[in-house]
Amino acid sequence: MSNEVVVKVRGVTKRFGDRVIFENISLDVHKSEVVAIIGPSGVGKSTFIRCINHLHSFDEGTIDVQGFRLVGGQSPSKAELQALHNSVGMVFQTFNLFPHLTVLDNIVLAPMQVKKQARQQAIDRAMHLLAMVGLQNRANTFPKRLSGGEQQRVAICRALAMEPEIMLFDEPTSMLDPELVGDVLEFIQRLARTGMTMVLVTHEMMFAKEVADTVVVMADHGIAEMGPAREVLESPRTERARSFLRRVLNPVGSPREPNLVANGGDDR
Amino acid sequence: MHVVILYLGVLLQGGMRDVELTVVSSILALMLGALGAIGRLYGGRIIGGAIYWYVELIRGLPPILQLFVLFFGLSQFGIDLNPLSAAIIWLVAYGAGYAVEVFRAGIMDVAEGQHEAATALGLDRKITMRKIIIPQAFVAMLPNLTTLIVLQLKNTTLLYLIGYADMMYQARLGADATAQPGPLYVVVAIEYLVLSAIISRIGSSMEKRAAAYR
Ligand SMILES: Nc1ncnc2c1ncn2[C@@H]1O[C@H](COP(=O)(O)OP(=O)(O)O)[C@@H](O)[C@H]1O
Ligand SMILES: [Mg+2]
Repeated sequence: MSNEVVVKVRGVTKRFGDRVIFENISLDVHKSEVVAIIGPSGVGKSTFIRCINHLHSFDEGTIDVQGFRLVGGQSPSKAELQALHNSVGMVFQTFNLFPHLTVLDNIVLAPMQVKKQARQQAIDRAMHLLAMVGLQNRANTFPKRLSGGEQQRVAICRALAMEPEIMLFDEPTSMLDPELVGDVLEFIQRLARTGMTMVLVTHEMMFAKEVADTVVVMADHGIAEMGPAREVLESPRTERARSFLRRVLNPVGSPREPNLVANGGDDR
Repeated sequence: MHVVILYLGVLLQGGMRDVELTVVSSILALMLGALGAIGRLYGGRIIGGAIYWYVELIRGLPPILQLFVLFFGLSQFGIDLNPLSAAIIWLVAYGAGYAVEVFRAGIMDVAEGQHEAATALGLDRKITMRKIIIPQAFVAMLPNLTTLIVLQLKNTTLLYLIGYADMMYQARLGADATAQPGPLYVVVAIEYLVLSAIISRIGSSMEKRAAAYR
């Protein structure tokens, strides 16, 4: 993590109609920092990270992403959005692969259409990315033929093919069967080690502790607590953060521990 | 039975004219319908509103009234269309009105996540439409498109009323001349059934092929 701030959020408020989703959120994300956002469902985590790449507009405040400024209530120009989307990649809870395109075509589409890469160049890069996650032999398969874990790894490759500076993850493993979670988290962890800047909404507390530099707890329309991952997760200072963590770490009637990172650690 | 033999040639010829008209008008109607749906969804208040009212008009007025206004009504104002032009214009106008709704439903059926993924990747709206949304919408709406084309075929029966010499027109002539309408209308019915069966077959084989990824 460096001192350079690549995402600077100041006083951001988001409403859907009259309903306030969150209010006056401020946050810095530094280059190569991994920020994990946690909090109860419905609190606005997905909405918040969608504001960072303008999938949602917001009502007040500003978000600076690598020198572009999004201003609440104003629509950015096409060129600004284009530049924003070029430098920010996103991975969704539901993968959102294009079902009518093969794995390979999912990955090469944007590099060819947006960056005007030659098909062969785009394919080479795509195959390299697929090889990183052991899916090079599924390149010509349609997404539906893959497991959820494989689909999500392809979706990450698709975002990485655009060579973003920042990656947003919206609960990348919460739709996966438990046995498929490990491979995806392990890939994200490897990505973090390469110095990728990441903002990650997650329910995987152990993963957050292991991979994130900073943890942000969202509650009651705002940020309840924010700080170094271990501090926030092990000894939260605010009551709202404490009560949320108590609930997720010791769910009533469930003896299961929260998901641990498969092979997490330093053996790679 | 010899009435049938006597008239079979002209009835088949009339059938061919129905087929030609159905094919031409369907192609034009679908192209206009696709544009209309995009205008309706993304064209803003004025364009979207105009298309909305056009669709309401087409769906709300009886087909025969539309046809008569076009053919007889306009001629009162000095616009004389020959039966073929009037037939094509009406079929295209009518089909396009329905096609707008079929395409619109198909486009809206594509999950929001697909738009989000495309936007996040930096694809602009045109490419997103062309490469992501339309191909998926097309698969979802193929059954409705098949129904629409069968509807176009059946609408050609109305055209004998403006003197377009289709299958129905020939059958009417024959029925008047021979006073034996029964067998002739049965032949017409069979022709229509065969034709719509062919359209449905083409439709369902396209569905199967297009949906291979599902
Ligand atoms: N497009 C939308 N229109 C209206 N309300 C929405 C929309 N998207 C999300 N919401 C509402 O905003 C709130 C926050 O949603 P979300 O950001 O998905 O929460 P989280 O990701 O933390 O579970 C929820 O109450 C949800 O119903
Ligand atoms: Mg969410």
